[in-house]
Amino acid sequence: MASVKFDKLRKVYGKDVVAVAGLDFEIPDGLFVSLVGPSGCGKSTALRMIAGLEEPTSGRLIFGDQDVTDREPRNRDIAMVFQSYALYPHMTVSENLQYGLKKRGVSSEERSISVKRIAHMLHIETFLDRKPRQLSGGQRQRVALGRALIRDPEVFLLDEPLSNLDAKLRVHMRAELATLHQRLRKTMIYVTHDQLEAMTLSDRIVVMNHGVVQQIGSPAEIYNSPSNRFVAEFMGTPSMNMIPCTLKQENGEPRLIAKNLSIPLSKQVASLASRTEVALGVRSEDFEIGAPGIVGGVDARVLVAELTGAEKYIYLELADAKVIARAPADSPICAGDNVSLSFKPHQMHVFDGRGDEAAALRAA
Amino acid sequence: MISLSMRKRFTSVRTYLLVALLLMFVGFPLYWMLMSSLKNSSDIVRLPPVWWPLPTWEHYDELFSVTKFGRWFLNSLIVCSMSTVIAVFLGVIGAYSLVRLKVPGKEVLARSVLLAYMFPGVLLVIPLVLVFSHLGLINSQFGLSLAYLTFALPFVMWVMRDFFGSVPVDLEEAAMIDGASRLEALRDVVIPQAYPGIIATSIFAFLFAWNEYLFSAILVRDHDLMTLPPAMANFASAMDTRWGLVMAASTVATLPMAMAFAFLQKYLVTGIGAGGVKG
Ligand SMILES: Nc1ncnc2c1ncn2[C@@H]1O[C@H](COP(=O)(O)OP(=O)(O)OP(=O)(O)O)[C@@H](O)[C@H]1O
Ligand SMILES: [Mg+2]
Repeated sequence: MASVKFDKLRKVYGKDVVAVAGLDFEIPDGLFVSLVGPSGCGKSTALRMIAGLEEPTSGRLIFGDQDVTDREPRNRDIAMVFQSYALYPHMTVSENLQYGLKKRGVSSEERSISVKRIAHMLHIETFLDRKPRQLSGGQRQRVALGRALIRDPEVFLLDEPLSNLDAKLRVHMRAELATLHQRLRKTMIYVTHDQLEAMTLSDRIVVMNHGVVQQIGSPAEIYNSPSNRFVAEFMGTPSMNMIPCTLKQENGEPRLIAKNLSIPLSKQVASLASRTEVALGVRSEDFEIGAPGIVGGVDARVLVAELTGAEKYIYLELADAKVIARAPADSPICAGDNVSLSFKPHQMHVFDGRGDEAAALRAA
Repeated sequence: MISLSMRKRFTSVRTYLLVALLLMFVGFPLYWMLMSSLKNSSDIVRLPPVWWPLPTWEHYDELFSVTKFGRWFLNSLIVCSMSTVIAVFLGVIGAYSLVRLKVPGKEVLARSVLLAYMFPGVLLVIPLVLVFSHLGLINSQFGLSLAYLTFALPFVMWVMRDFFGSVPVDLEEAAMIDGASRLEALRDVVIPQAYPGIIATSIFAFLFAWNEYLFSAILVRDHDLMTLPPAMANFASAMDTRWGLVMAASTVATLPMAMAFAFLQKYLVTGIGAGGVKG
């Protein structure tokens, strides 16, 4: 049993480089949790503190019911997959896999049984005698995974393990990782800056920015109800459209106003706002495009129509903001057209302000 | 028009000529040493010189039967091996610490390692004699090998620091997560990446000591404990220099290093080239 609990864990490099400003949450045993965020937000640092490779400046780290803050990496019952794979170059694949077992005094018969089992599971039987440099990227990746799996640790740590692979292999390995987790049900902590990877793999997502946790939740929660503007814009491709609006009372009813746009807002939500300069967030799939002049629609002009394959991205100018909407691939819309955009009212997000940290306003 | 292949051939001919010239320049003294050691005493000084003498082994006979050359050779081997082993062992650990551990002021520390090279050996030898005589390390092979650390250790540390710096940190971190202590990670994972460097520095550390004259001449006075350079210097005296003997001794003394270079050449090349970049 190993849940991983962060107790105000903080890391400051030197005097004032705050890499992780304070993590304070618990990862229940057996979950697949992703840490996501832009480059430099402190994901690796957080992971390395869990591994014991980086000493926290303050705070405690607790596995299950044991405080492991001061334990050496080797005494933490963890395994880690590095972005660079970090396979031992002078050892064969088989020796790479066995090294951890050897260090733990496992007999050579047992080791070779384990190697067979892992090699079979990861389809690397045929190159057990090769050195890492004689392997392709995907094969190295598997060996690195195998080296972590073979020891059967309580907690798996993965630092961008797929980022060095080409797109096709990434998708493939992503699926393999998901199956592995299904099967092993071990706590896995996965660092990535690829929000799609996080969405598809995780039970929980932890979104970080500037060393601060922005939101923790299931992929659906994070996607459907982002807690602030940063999360809203970071998760999802294309990123959520933001339309700067002003919150006004008209005839006693609160409305979001921007140029030719005027949308009614529930009183409850409006009462939560601390200012009038707000932003309206709409995901590209939550627009409906219709002929100009439709009731309840807002007129917009098509700037570009971009075919991605399965669908079209329609770039539009809407109330001085540039937004992206989705349309079916066979949609006849093209650049220069005038259309009318309507919104699905339940899929609108209102943010209290224009900065990254602007909180989402949501009726209870 | 000169075709590309002709131009290539021309370039390679030019390269070979240059290499041949260089080889002659480097090789001639060696050739002369070997030939002189095989000439009889009168041929050695004959003018015009004898290029291909009828070989005689008389100087070699004398070297091993009359002088204590065998003893001195062994002394040299012992002292140089000891100092090399100690220098490489301590140097590797020291260099690794300077690269990886959080030692305050380690940059300054690393650079001050080179301080020993700023002073001429003569300056160091005087305090060394004082200290060594207090410690009873005069006339001691162990003492002499310690004295050689003054230049071997900084050298090993300096070069190995570069090597360890080029080994990715991930590797040893992976090893430590896999269950190794830091020292085990160093032994199992880091050092194997740095073998070329270790071999290269070992050879050079050994070579320094093998050729060293000053410390040896001053710190070891006992005839039976002498190393080769000061012992061989005794062959040449103001009255009469036994050139045949000197040349034979030099030839034998050159052998171990020549062999080491020949066998370990491939490591040396990567070793010298790989200091900064990953090998
Ligand atoms: N050894 C270090 N010394 C000083 N600052 C560091 C050190 N390691 C990381 N940092 C800083 O800490 C912050 C967080 O770094 P970290 O490596 O955790 O980011 P990351 O989220 O993993 O980014 P990426 O997605 O690029 O890997 C960055 O601003 C980085 O510059
Ligand atoms: Mg990182």
